[in-house]
Amino acid sequence: MTTVDTAGPDLAPGAGEGRRPTPPRPTRASRSRSRRGGLTPYALLTPALIVLALIVGWPLVQLVVTSFQEFGRAQVFGAPPAWVWFENYADVLTDPVFHGVLLRSLAFAAACVVTTMLFGTLVALMMTRLTKFFRILLSIGMLLAWAMPALTATVVWGWMFDTAYGVVNHVLVNWFGLAEYFQHSWLIDPLSFFVVAGLIIVWGAVPFVAFTLYAGLTQVPDEVLEAAQLDGAGGVARFRLIVFPYLKPIFLIVTILQIIWDLRVFTQIFALQDIGGIRALTSTLGVYIYQTSIAGGDFGHGGATAVITAILLMSISVFYIRHLAKEEEL
Amino acid sequence: MRKLGIVALGAAAALTLAGCASGGEAAPEEGAEIRVWLVGIDTPDAAREYLVETFEEEHPGSTLVIEEQSWDGLVDRLTTSLSGSDSPDVVEVGNTQASAFTSAGAFLDLTEFYDELGGDDLLPGFVEAGSYDDRFYAAPLYSGSRLVFYKKDALAAAGLSVPTTLDEYIANGEALAAANPGKSGIWWPGQDWYNALPYIWENGGEVAVPDGEEWDAQLSGPESVAGLEQVQQVMTNASRAPKDANETSPEVGFCDGTTLQLSAPSWVKWSILAPADAEAPGCPDQEENLGVYALPGIDGGAAQVFAGGSNIGVSAKSTHPELAVDALKIILSDGFQTIYGENGLVPAKLSLADTVGTDEVAQAIAAAAGNAKLTPASPKWADVEAAGILQDLFVKVAQGGDVQALAEAADEEIEAILNR
Repeated sequence: MTTVDTAGPDLAPGAGEGRRPTPPRPTRASRSRSRRGGLTPYALLTPALIVLALIVGWPLVQLVVTSFQEFGRAQVFGAPPAWVWFENYADVLTDPVFHGVLLRSLAFAAACVVTTMLFGTLVALMMTRLTKFFRILLSIGMLLAWAMPALTATVVWGWMFDTAYGVVNHVLVNWFGLAEYFQHSWLIDPLSFFVVAGLIIVWGAVPFVAFTLYAGLTQVPDEVLEAAQLDGAGGVARFRLIVFPYLKPIFLIVTILQIIWDLRVFTQIFALQDIGGIRALTSTLGVYIYQTSIAGGDFGHGGATAVITAILLMSISVFYIRHLAKEEEL
Repeated sequence: MRKLGIVALGAAAALTLAGCASGGEAAPEEGAEIRVWLVGIDTPDAAREYLVETFEEEHPGSTLVIEEQSWDGLVDRLTTSLSGSDSPDVVEVGNTQASAFTSAGAFLDLTEFYDELGGDDLLPGFVEAGSYDDRFYAAPLYSGSRLVFYKKDALAAAGLSVPTTLDEYIANGEALAAANPGKSGIWWPGQDWYNALPYIWENGGEVAVPDGEEWDAQLSGPESVAGLEQVQQVMTNASRAPKDANETSPEVGFCDGTTLQLSAPSWVKWSILAPADAEAPGCPDQEENLGVYALPGIDGGAAQVFAGGSNIGVSAKSTHPELAVDALKIILSDGFQTIYGENGLVPAKLSLADTVGTDEVAQAIAAAAGNAKLTPASPKWADVEAAGILQDLFVKVAQGGDVQALAEAADEEIEAILNR
């Protein structure tokens, strides 16, 4: 609005009697607006910040405090905790069990993120090609998958992979004649456990990636793609040289979200461990923190593990953002 | 206007949150709601109705709500809920888990009500489990031993009879599995560690024994390993259950015919005989065919089985402790406890032992209860259970792993927790 107002008189400087006293007014208005703008954003942010500080900040402070203490179940019910400062951190960082959990989580999250992004992108690209009917059908299917609570999804997938009564074993044995899958346990081998867990997680995450990327894909100008096509660029080249650069910010944010979500995955692993498998060989960071603190009643070590995980998640995100931001500059 | 609207919204949100924090407290004693947590489906519906009706009759205006919890992850849930401001008033807890909470001060001290609740008539082992530092925190709720359920026709078809020793029981299981390919002679999913305890105890082993201030885990001792090897023998030769499944819903295999024998808590009888159209359907047509006996010991007689059961206490954070104690008194009344007895669970009072009846199940219960044993009496034992160490151990045993090495690794983990 301001630019239009100021540009208007500039375009018609010759119209003498048309010189209305308008030019100063917008200036005054914009100045006062900018002065007010100095405080308004903060005033608007304050309520949200207070709420955030209360429901996120305070627990976070408590977590850090707990991680410096010897905090067991007795302390939960009111006994005074003893300060041990960095002892919990030293214990966790030198614990081979934690190293195993950390490596497992990183590898599992990496596999999940790559698979999710790959399938999400492919589905989004497919959606641009589908007729309206099939696109809506696909969207509804994906929305249902996305809306399914993680716990419900895990229980249902768990039934499908059930050792004695699961449909997967039934189909493999009776339709494909693979007798070795009779009573085959899908969760007992850690690698196989993570394939099933990964399947559930990717299944639940692909819709979000696909919808977001599809929204972005509709914004890629058709003329550019058409021109590239006329110049002889194939599908892969067009995606790499035109679509991807256009959608880079979307890819960036979606990938970071996936990394964070997959590294702290909890529900799917926790619920699957109850259905089958060996807990000690399949725990990821989130489940391990829960097992240490809440199930095991050792909130000090659990807190230290949680703080280390949070720092790790933040540094991975920051590293990733900086890395991509630098690439952008080149 | 719009900005103001947003500010107002934020303020309203903040006020609502503040309202949440201050609400719920200081409700009048009359018209109060007492929340009772019962775990699993062990407690029969008749008992639940009796509790609600009696309480609401004695306290007009107040209500009692039973919230059913699952055994999975109970220790975790109790830790968070009992310490919060929204704590349930009366909670059931597994007898082996009780000391984790009595020692932490999670329960109200019930010492002054001890005599009123039943006094020396209460099951002594459970009173011990619910006491800490000579104070009484959690009363016994019921006890239930594990029994062996079997299909009479399958045993007869294989020319076998009810075993009298543990070795015979194992041999029967193997013979049944061999005669019925694809079926379990003894159904035993890998995560079910409760059923492994009698094998360890009958061979003279222990899970862990106190050694001064410390605990000494004994699973890798020669006696325990002999028991664990028998467990492995049953799991690999007699059981066709998934090697890594848990022990919930044993009635499914029994009803579809793939389970010929199984060892389970006594109330599983009612899961098996549940109506075919129930939410968790059973097979009432098998009633005639359903046999039951107490697990035999290594030298005959009843084996030392795991004394399962529950304690029940009042949360230290209960907002209506007096009403909660009143509810507890109803739960420990003869009327309520008799319903347990009639449904195949051992009531919390010794004087009601004969309510269990005189049928086959009752005889088996009496035989098993007479020789029941508990897990190590350490407040940290609940943490061993919650960490899933024993579940993991027996899944690996079921897979055919090296028993000695697995037991040594498990001993180390158990000691690390008990001596923390």
